[in-house]
Amino acid sequence: MFGLSDEQYYNPELLETIRQTRERWFYFLDKLETRMHEMCTAAVPEIQEVFNQDTDPYKRAHSHMLMGLHGQINQMRQKANKVMEENIFHFIDCVAAELPDFISLAGRDYHAKLNTFRIDCINRHNIFEEKIAHNTSVLNNAAGKQDLETTYGEQLAAFESIKDKFVCRQCGGNITIPQIFFIATYITCPFCQTQNTFTPSTGAQMVLHQARSLAEQRTVHLLRLYEESKPKDPHLYKQYLRSMFDEWNKIVPDMAAENEKFYLRMLHDHSNSINHY
Amino acid sequence: MGDNEEKRTLTYLQRLKQKAINQEHYGGQIKQEEAKMEVRDCPECGAGRAFRQGLTACAYCGFKFMNSRLTDGVHIKKENNS
Repeated sequence: MFGLSDEQYYNPELLETIRQTRERWFYFLDKLETRMHEMCTAAVPEIQEVFNQDTDPYKRAHSHMLMGLHGQINQMRQKANKVMEENIFHFIDCVAAELPDFISLAGRDYHAKLNTFRIDCINRHNIFEEKIAHNTSVLNNAAGKQDLETTYGEQLAAFESIKDKFVCRQCGGNITIPQIFFIATYITCPFCQTQNTFTPSTGAQMVLHQARSLAEQRTVHLLRLYEESKPKDPHLYKQYLRSMFDEWNKIVPDMAAENEKFYLRMLHDHSNSINHY
Repeated sequence: MGDNEEKRTLTYLQRLKQKAINQEHYGGQIKQEEAKMEVRDCPECGAGRAFRQGLTACAYCGFKFMNSRLTDGVHIKKENNS
């Protein structure tokens, strides 16, 4: 009763099956990792090419390609998860059910072996997940950073050259655009008071879309300072966030009031997050 | 990496690349347009749109340019309601 007798349990076939299963699992993940590495290494120059040739302001062709590659990696992850569920965990459950009780002298040794097998398999799977994270970040960073500063400078120069060249559509009087606008706005004709609608160029409209990324590029050194601090210093994050939003407001002053609310929310979210290690 | 394996990866990437480039963008292509100035004339009396207690109605004949009420935005404000 309760398996408390000193009977010995000896099952060399089971040990051999465990060894083979472990070996197969490791080999299977090795193969998946090799394929993933090959695919990502070959994809990096292709991603860069697509990114550089993509004339779309939102770089959507690049995004499509990146999404396709993420999908491939995700398929590998799902495949590994399925095999782990069916061939590792299911196998462990079946074997554990056949073994003598854990509290018996005979069963304890085999349960310990089975547990070691489980931990080994999970640890190997964790390494696989780390490689997925690494390869994903390689793909995400493959295209490098867009030179937003030059684009912004070009738009400012373009605005300076056109700001005095508009005439009122009603009376033909000259209109000077008082400041750079990134979205359509009403401009009053100083002669006939007609409200003209000024629509900025597509390039100028894109500045609004890229303003945050540009501000982040300008303050990336402050973010790095925060990320390198151990334990992570919330004051450094606040310093980065304030500078980033100040830069953002400098680029798009019209959005300062809205951005301030966003700043406070991000600060609040960060102080309530648990990632301070 | 075997030759076949390498070829397969490259073929896959080439296909993916072509698909990514040829895929139609959601919302269509972005048209590059220059900055422009426009004005909306009143369809009733032909007057230019002038500010008189707001912009949603014609300052001269009262024709309603829009029926919706404006709320505060970046450049458009509640005061623009006639």
